[in-house]
Amino acid sequence: MALEDYRGDMEMCCRCSCCKFIPMQMVQGAEYSYACPSIAKYNFHAYSAGGRLNIAASMLKKGFNYSDKILDIVKNCQMCGACGVSCNYAMDMEVLEPIQEFRIKTVEDGHTVPALEKVITSLGNQGSMVPVTGKRGDWASGLNLKDATSKKVNVLYHVGCLTSYDKNMQKLAKATVNILQKAGVNFGITGDAEMCCGGRAYQMGYKEDFLNQAKKNMAMIKKAGIKTLVASCSNCYQAFKVLYDKYNLRGDLEVLHITEYIARSLNEETLKPSKKVALTVTYHDPCRLGRLGEPWIHWEGKKIPGDRFVFDPPKIYRRGTHGVYEPPREVLNSISGIKLMEMTRIKEYAWCCGAGGGVNESNPEFAMWTANERIREAVSTGAEAIVTACPWCEKTFNEAIQKNESSLKVYDIVELVEKAI
Amino acid sequence: MALSKEVYKEFEDVVGEENICDDPAIMPAYFATEFAAVILPKDTAKVQAIVKLCNKHKLKFRAISTGWTGVFPKNTILLDLRRMNRIIEINEKNMYAVVEPYVISAELQAELFKRGLNFCIKGAGSNCSAMLRGHGHLDQTTSADDRNHLAIEWVTPEGEIVRLGSLGSSDEWFCGDGPGPSLRAIISSAVPPGVTPGVFTKAAIKLYHWPGPSKLPVVGKSPRYTLREIPANMMARYYSFPSVEKMWQAELKIGESEIAYELMGFNASMVASNITTCNEEEEEVFRRISQEVQGPGFFVIIAGNSPEDFAYKKKVLEKIVSDADGKSLKSVEDPEIEGILLCQCVRISASIRETFRAGGAFNSIPIMGQRDLTIKWAIGAGEAKKPLIKKGLIVDDGGAFFGWGVEQGHLGKTEIFCRFDPLNPEAKKAVEEWRKEQCARAVNERYFADLLMAKIDESGPSLSNYHLWWRKIVKELDPNSVSPEGGPLV
Repeated sequence: MALEDYRGDMEMCCRCSCCKFIPMQMVQGAEYSYACPSIAKYNFHAYSAGGRLNIAASMLKKGFNYSDKILDIVKNCQMCGACGVSCNYAMDMEVLEPIQEFRIKTVEDGHTVPALEKVITSLGNQGSMVPVTGKRGDWASGLNLKDATSKKVNVLYHVGCLTSYDKNMQKLAKATVNILQKAGVNFGITGDAEMCCGGRAYQMGYKEDFLNQAKKNMAMIKKAGIKTLVASCSNCYQAFKVLYDKYNLRGDLEVLHITEYIARSLNEETLKPSKKVALTVTYHDPCRLGRLGEPWIHWEGKKIPGDRFVFDPPKIYRRGTHGVYEPPREVLNSISGIKLMEMTRIKEYAWCCGAGGGVNESNPEFAMWTANERIREAVSTGAEAIVTACPWCEKTFNEAIQKNESSLKVYDIVELVEKAI
Repeated sequence: MALSKEVYKEFEDVVGEENICDDPAIMPAYFATEFAAVILPKDTAKVQAIVKLCNKHKLKFRAISTGWTGVFPKNTILLDLRRMNRIIEINEKNMYAVVEPYVISAELQAELFKRGLNFCIKGAGSNCSAMLRGHGHLDQTTSADDRNHLAIEWVTPEGEIVRLGSLGSSDEWFCGDGPGPSLRAIISSAVPPGVTPGVFTKAAIKLYHWPGPSKLPVVGKSPRYTLREIPANMMARYYSFPSVEKMWQAELKIGESEIAYELMGFNASMVASNITTCNEEEEEVFRRISQEVQGPGFFVIIAGNSPEDFAYKKKVLEKIVSDADGKSLKSVEDPEIEGILLCQCVRISASIRETFRAGGAFNSIPIMGQRDLTIKWAIGAGEAKKPLIKKGLIVDDGGAFFGWGVEQGHLGKTEIFCRFDPLNPEAKKAVEEWRKEQCARAVNERYFADLLMAKIDESGPSLSNYHLWWRKIVKELDPNSVSPEGGPLV
């Protein structure tokens, strides 16, 4: 659907400001009440979801006269979707989808940001969203893992750009491999042949580049006969599971996040964490595993003429209800010695780490500001460590902590599971 | 009219370059108005400096907090008070809280619950400023409007800082009337022709005892939050009655016995809006509930300070309802639904479901006064809605109205609205005409109606020519005419 298809949704915005805050029943005081990093940082209403919808609706009416300010408003958003959850508590309207389409339109109209252009150029040339050093599969050197493109495996482990290339993140790939091996899973990787999922390109508004990656990935997966894909990166997970489905590219591929796979293995008792890990932690729900990880709902219909904003057939909105919230918590609670302290903003209304939507690349200072807010909230729980389930969150939190000389530790959930098995 | 570079620089020097913007790109985000600039002051001193500059350059200005609604002339300087978001003080002993304009009610209430306190959140919802004046679900026990404002800090249209009430003679916020200047009659947004000019920068708000837990045990995922358990000594019910007279009889007795923590005269349609998660579900539940209720009704929350207190209140409530032939709505007795309603109606978090969700817009007429009289007016306004419902121009709510007691029923508020699709010009026109006719009828029948949409010069004489005096006062306060009149800001 294009931006104009969301005209009715955008004009439903009543400027109530709910999109700025977590759902009202969950507000626990003057602190940690905000949901949207963009409005929290930049203050002008234009930087809220409601502001963006009203601007886009106005441009649909009056024409797309782009300015630097418009691009600043469009790009300084992590596309984390918290706005949509808060709005959709009470309203029946799409929020993040028109914002995404607005972003896509700016790119299609040729209004881009140099920092993001550079990343997309790298994606085209080198197949990666992060700087490339060496070969993509170098991290697996010496591990004797199966090549899923040539050998029959039950599960493909899709590693992702950041975990593959960033030397500080490769430990996550190795931990994931260790866990899958301990669980006795017949899995493989695609090593140097692995390709970027394209999800982060999509968040940045580069729809065609995303579709290009998606088509290439699914062609390889179909050729290899892969039935189940496991991702340890929440961006990859959401891309394969939700975005590929949105564009009818996923077919019947089962997509699981590693936390879902571990939770399943725990239930089936193929994985038994036996070692104690004495640590008080708080869990950060990655946006694209949590609220944006809920399944895509295919729908096509028309508004029923009349008094109400209702459709034929009825439209079911993705309100963040069915994201992946419990499996990571089940995994953490299965580890002896782990004490989980929850933050104020969790699950469907969790605060973003700051890295999404191209903000990490185009405005690192804003990404850091957002991460710092989360670190502050994590520290307020009394936890020794913040645990997440996405390398982008871990990277951003680590950078924020280093700059602030905080003593808070950062772990991906697979690192703790690896310690426990 | 864009500001000249020189004038823009003067404002910029006050707030810093990151807190002022005149780029046309951001304006549609606010309202369908071309503002001269949007400025984000951080404190009272900055507001004062901005207002003085507006006077110097004869520029009109208006301020918003959360900025839901408002009427703004073209080229207005908009003061977006978003950065003024501090809770200055919560005084537990003297039971007041001092807040800046962008503290939302949900934030303040959550802080108050931790201290066993609560305040009157306005019906617009907890997403709005805690400073907002008006009425809300808790009026029965907390009263409303100017009764809950104590000392206030006000930047006048000329840029003078006036500290009203006890703040005028000390640093204390405990009283709105003194020792110090009391301008209670001026500090109002509920009377025609509009809001008080200038900017309110801080206000002390009266607090009340909260008998519930320090944090409500909310469970579930959005959009279906409920309570894990109904808090001890609390209960929520909806009762319907065979007639308006019977309902009023019960309402009056509940007020006299002072047993209800909240009494909200929802109609069946509003109950359906509250407990459902989407429009389709709402339609279906409304149809079902309409069959269950026997007539008009109200929603009640009982909150005891002890098991004995709760048992007493519950017993009295049941007697009053029984005497008036009231019937409890079974759906609300389901603990899950009871939890949804109890939480939403204490935290005032579902107003948007009741108003905007169905069609995208609503148009409302609130009437203050004795409930049994105002209901009579509302029945007429409801009948006048029915042809619009029949034509499919507004959402079918059975032609219902709603309302609630204020100060244990000594006062009351009755309200009626039409929900419609604002993109349907026929519906919009029909609703505007309905509103105009019903407002005029209210004034003619000597009810205190919201007159903002009516012709004040025609209706003013029936209010002792209040509007003429008001204009004289405004002229004195605002000699440069820089603080324009407009509707109440939410």
